[in-house]
Formats: sequence, structure tokens, C-alpha cells
Amino acid sequence: MAEKLEDLNLPLTVVGRIVKEVLPEGVSISKEARTGLAKAASVFVLYVTSAATNTVKHHKRKALTGQDVLEAMADIEFERFVEPLREALEQYKLAVSAKKSAGKKKEDDDVEMVEEEG
Amino acid sequence: MSTPKPEKELHLPLSRVKTIMKSSPEVDAVGPEPLYLVTKVTELFVIDLAKRAFKNSSNNVLEYKHIADVVQEDDSLDFLREIIPRKITVKQFKEMMARKAAKANSDDSTEESSSEESSDESEESQEE
Repeated sequence: MAEKLEDLNLPLTVVGRIVKEVLPEGVSISKEARTGLAKAASVFVLYVTSAATNTVKHHKRKALTGQDVLEAMADIEFERFVEPLREALEQYKLAVSAKKSAGKKKEDDDVEMVEEEG
Repeated sequence: MSTPKPEKELHLPLSRVKTIMKSSPEVDAVGPEPLYLVTKVTELFVIDLAKRAFKNSSNNVLEYKHIADVVQEDDSLDFLREIIPRKITVKQFKEMMARKAAKANSDDSTEESSSEESSDESEESQEE
């Protein structure tokens, strides 16, 4: 649980760094703009979380999965993030299964990609 | 030798994102996979927003108003409208209120709601 209110905000410095990396060199970001972006990102986390929990409910499940996050993107009109996110999920699952098979030689069926359409 | 851990490619702190996610009353546990994806998509989101906002900038400075403009113009960013409002100056605010009052007076001179309304709206407007 969050103990302080600041815990519910994403760190300004990190948000600033992410943005700086993608904007042309030499661009500066005003303090207010940085704060605004960090706030927007924090609220976005909640927005996505809430959309994803709706997907979970819709499937009558309890636990939130990566697939729910993916599906939620279309519900909140962020289809443009679905593809990069799907790739990220794939990579993530590969990394997890690589780690698992390295640790113990065991096949895990649940780490296979599940292709689902809405 | 092995593929880099996907978490390592993220910039935002997973722990903070987790705290925010768990602040939602409907969420009690967040597994590593959804946490990874939410963090990832939040980074994509912030990059996307910043890039679009920067298009509104005429010099090499990204300012608050550029972000506010994107937010107010894109319907899919409706959820941010109260968080990132367009800022107006006190002068603009007074003019707006004067127009509102004038309109209310001409529409219905017996109603005097416009002066009450202005008090709660004034909190949202800040001087630039």
C-alpha cells in the first residue's frame, strides 16, 4: 500500500529521461511539462489497470494476466499500442521460460503464447 | 550470453507502478507479467504523448501548454482532461466569467447562479 501520496506518482526524473531520449537533441522540457507528463503517466497506469480489471471480470476470472492488459488496450482506444505490447509480451514470456528451463528442466505449457481474439 | 532480462529494458520503476496499480480498489495482487506490460505501455504512452506535444512546439522547448493541447484535442485522452487542463490567465478567466454573467443575465435575469458557479471553477484556473 502507498504510505505517502508521492508514492502514487511516477518519478519526474525518470519520466524526463524517457522523454528526452525520444525527442530531438537539444530540446528542453519545461519543469511544468515534465510534471504534467509524469502526472499523465501515473493516471494512465490507473486507467489501464482499471480497463484490464474489467477484462478480467468479463472473462469471469480473478487474476490479472498480460493478455488482459493487451485486450484492454482496444477497449480504451489505444490500439496503436497493441502490436508493440504484443511483441513485448512475447519477449517477456521467452525470457521467463528461458529462465525456467535454465533453472529446472521442465516444460511449462502455460508460458506458450496464447493467441486470442476479442 | 543469455538474452537480457526484459525488465532491465524498462526505465520506470516497477515497484512504483505496482504501488499505483494496487491503489485501485479492484486490484489485490499484481503478477510480474501484467506489471511488466503495464509499465511497458506506460512508457510507450508517455513517449507518444511527448512526441505529439512536441509537434505543437515552435521552438526547442516542450512546454505544459503543448501537452494540454494534445490532451484537450484527442478524445482518447479524455481521462486526462481534468489532470492536464488548459491553463488560462486570470485576465482570461475574468473575461470568461464576465461573458458568462452577461449571458446569464440576458437569458434569465432572475437567476443569479453565475456568481456561485465561478467560485468552484476558479480553483481549476491558474495563472500562467
